[in-house]
Amino acid sequence: MWLIGLERGITRFSNLLGIISTILFIGLLFNVFYDVLMRYAFNDVSIGMQELEWHLYAAIFLLGIPYGIQHGGHVRVDLIYENLSIRGKAWIDLFGCVVFLMPFTILVGYYGVGFSYEAFSLGETSGDPGGLPYRWIIKAVIPVAFFSMAISGLGMIIRCINVLRGVSEEGFSHPPIQH
Amino acid sequence: MIGIIMFFVALVLLLLGFPVAFTFGGVALIFGVFAEGFDMFAFMPFRIQSYMENTVMMAVPLFVFMGIVLQKTKLAEQLLEAMGKLFGGVRGGLAISTILVGALLAASTGVVGASVVAMGLISLPVMLKYNYSKSLACGTICASGTLGQIIPPSIILIILGDVLGIPVGDLFHAALFPGMILIACYIVYILILTFLKPELAPAMPQDLDNETRAQQIRSALKAIIPPLALVLIVLGSIFTGIATPTESSALGGMGAIVLALIYRQFSWKMLYDSGLETVKVTAMVFAILMGATAFSMAFSYTGGDAIVEEVLLNLPGEKWGFIILAMIAILILGFFIDFVEIAFIIVPILAPVAEALGINMVWFAILIAMNLQTSFLTPPFGFSLFYLKGVAPSSIRTMDIYKGVMPFILIQILVLVSIMVFPELYGMD
Amino acid sequence: EKVYKLKMAETWATNFPIFGDAPRNMVRIAEEMSGGRLKITIDSANKHKAPLGVFDMVRSGQYDLGHSASYYWKGKVPNTVYFTTMPFGMTAPEQYGWFYYGDGMKLMEKVYQPFGLLSFPGGNTGVQMGGWFRKEINSVEDLQGLKMRIPGFAGEVLAKLGAKPTNIPPGELYTALERNTIDALEWVGPSLDLRMGFHKIAPYYYTGWHEPATELQFLVNERTWKKLPDDLREILRVAMKVSAYDMYIQSYHESGVNWATMKSEYPDIQVKTFPQPVLNAMKKANDELLTEEAAKDPLAKEIIDSQAAYMKTARVWSNISDRAYLESVDRLDQ
Ligand code: NA
Ligand code: NA
Repeated sequence: MWLIGLERGITRFSNLLGIISTILFIGLLFNVFYDVLMRYAFNDVSIGMQELEWHLYAAIFLLGIPYGIQHGGHVRVDLIYENLSIRGKAWIDLFGCVVFLMPFTILVGYYGVGFSYEAFSLGETSGDPGGLPYRWIIKAVIPVAFFSMAISGLGMIIRCINVLRGVSEEGFSHPPIQH
Repeated sequence: MIGIIMFFVALVLLLLGFPVAFTFGGVALIFGVFAEGFDMFAFMPFRIQSYMENTVMMAVPLFVFMGIVLQKTKLAEQLLEAMGKLFGGVRGGLAISTILVGALLAASTGVVGASVVAMGLISLPVMLKYNYSKSLACGTICASGTLGQIIPPSIILIILGDVLGIPVGDLFHAALFPGMILIACYIVYILILTFLKPELAPAMPQDLDNETRAQQIRSALKAIIPPLALVLIVLGSIFTGIATPTESSALGGMGAIVLALIYRQFSWKMLYDSGLETVKVTAMVFAILMGATAFSMAFSYTGGDAIVEEVLLNLPGEKWGFIILAMIAILILGFFIDFVEIAFIIVPILAPVAEALGINMVWFAILIAMNLQTSFLTPPFGFSLFYLKGVAPSSIRTMDIYKGVMPFILIQILVLVSIMVFPELYGMD
Repeated sequence: EKVYKLKMAETWATNFPIFGDAPRNMVRIAEEMSGGRLKITIDSANKHKAPLGVFDMVRSGQYDLGHSASYYWKGKVPNTVYFTTMPFGMTAPEQYGWFYYGDGMKLMEKVYQPFGLLSFPGGNTGVQMGGWFRKEINSVEDLQGLKMRIPGFAGEVLAKLGAKPTNIPPGELYTALERNTIDALEWVGPSLDLRMGFHKIAPYYYTGWHEPATELQFLVNERTWKKLPDDLREILRVAMKVSAYDMYIQSYHESGVNWATMKSEYPDIQVKTFPQPVLNAMKKANDELLTEEAAKDPLAKEIIDSQAAYMKTARVWSNISDRAYLESVDRLDQ
């Protein structure tokens, strides 16, 4: 089944984003710790390292969102949803993906391309002394993340179709975040 | 008018159960494109960038990580159990401990997402383990996590100070006592409720056979010291100026790793797993913020803010009528407009009227802050409710959370009214 | 007759005092002078959420006009930094002279035109204060390791002298200064600083050196500008000029009133001027930086030289007119 194959490919892609985000997060933890330590103990401040903090933090949450879509990590108001059959849930998810998620993420991703291209063409850097160059890289995370959300959304659509065709029931029971 | 329709459509569509973040985004897209065309979405990257550069929000992943490590190493559980035992036979001891720990956490951050999620991770499993009523547990966590808004330092107080032209220090000072009263009221409520309905919050089982009270206190202290040290690192680093409030959350995260090392619970796998879960929770919080910013963009660019302005400009010009209606208006708007929007768009409309009426602006600011804190808890759009749902086990239903926060919303309104009527009790007149 | 509906984005938050008054005055004047043919709506930062995105949004045509400050675009177009204010640079009247009667406007056009933008002076804050310090600065050594929130070119000057410019989000500035996370910060002047409450936590308020004449800016999208008939362009030009001038006067007025309030309500604030050796060292560092910048880019050199030459002439007159007058009046018997 090529649909199932595609779905597995998309899952691997989303997992990769999750791994990248996790590594960046551990980097952020040490980055902030380092900045505090240097400032307090050695009276040294690096604007570049301070800016790196928000670069990391921004990449973490943006790249984490597609990973979250893949793993059912996004909050639902479940007053009705909880009581539906798997087919019922699949219908709602299919509808939501096609009408809400895909158009929204693709449109934002599309405008994100121009946004980061602008920074690239200007050679935008930080305006502060010692700040980080290549602003376009962090701005480019916006389109990358939103197109990745669309890809994860496509994975969700395939899962819904598989359920509705009776091929598979994968992807409708995610382990909760904890416990 | 489009803004109002959009609001009700979002309300209905949210009920379908598709993820909140993308329902907001999708509704914004449909209405925004219908009214203004695709180009409105050219503003989205700018709005996203404003979150990316908002380093205060960095506290979300960092605090969440601290919470997850504390939970994985069972240190949080030990802390809450020990505190629960210290309260001895008192029913609801765990809930009271949750409020106190939540208040300490709130003292270090003004980011509601950070403290609600961290408290949800730390204390919800423990309360459920001891058979607390689901809704009581959820209500307690949402309410105590939201305390970060009123207990300084807090973002909303800083923004209000800026908008109203009041020195931030004055507002921090004025907010402290109302915050304490709120905490006290929560605790009194838990005590009364569990006295009337003991089954909602069973007392911790006491090992009566072999542990004396003294031993109990000793073992409780032993359990409290490590997490307490962590709290001291976080608060202490702010107090001594070693770190800014945001940075202190990273020190908390590093401290949690050190504790795990000391208690021989550390492994690289634990670090990686905690990091991955942090990413997932953080993504959940920020996805909602991304969807909400698209929603508020569509709301304001299709003229929603003009309608709101019009309503507010027609409030009565007499002190009590003005205050009461202004508070009601903010409470209602808080259902569907972000608190930052309220502070920047609504408050400047109200401020000149308040000033002309000779109203004490510090008092007015505290009333608004208290009111906005409530907006985090009010269904269906209260962000605290979403955040808790995001980290709760699947046995917790949305309705459990809605039911649980109702009494706390009432308490907040009562405290708000008491500040309104008896400002002198709070040192403001 | 055709009505031109234009949209303007400002960098400031809704109802931001003084800074936000300038664009509103401009809009009012333009509307009335054009008999309603120019209708301009203003979106503040709370609506567009991109205070520092005004350059891009006006450039792309999402907005026709913007109200901001040129030095915010330093990271995008380095030469924009010279059109706001420079450490040890011109005072407001001198700088207005340079803009309108010297080469200022021509050079600004040279910098902005390649990006499809026009820039006009947008109101002046006058001399900004040097900032709030927790400890006294008595020597150049006291700057060593001084952690200060001071962005931009002035930050670079201080960094050269061993200070540590530090990024702190505005929301955490108060706590950071109160707890000695940083030792000093600069904000604007009495009217805006008092709102932040810095006087409660820092005893020393230093007089200015780094922003002697902060000029805001009106940005106009070139395509919009070309669309407008000649008379409306002239009306817009006049409205911008008048509202800019008005903001300078308003700033002067507000600063005066607020300074008096501050002195009577908080008599403990110690107002200081940096000692001469410190100022000499800052000036030297500043000149070295300017030389470096001039060596990197011919247009930068042209601007820096033009400003230096203009200031040289104008300052002689400032000294013989304003300064001599103020000093003579100061010496009068009461
Ligand atoms: Na707080
Ligand atoms: Na300044």
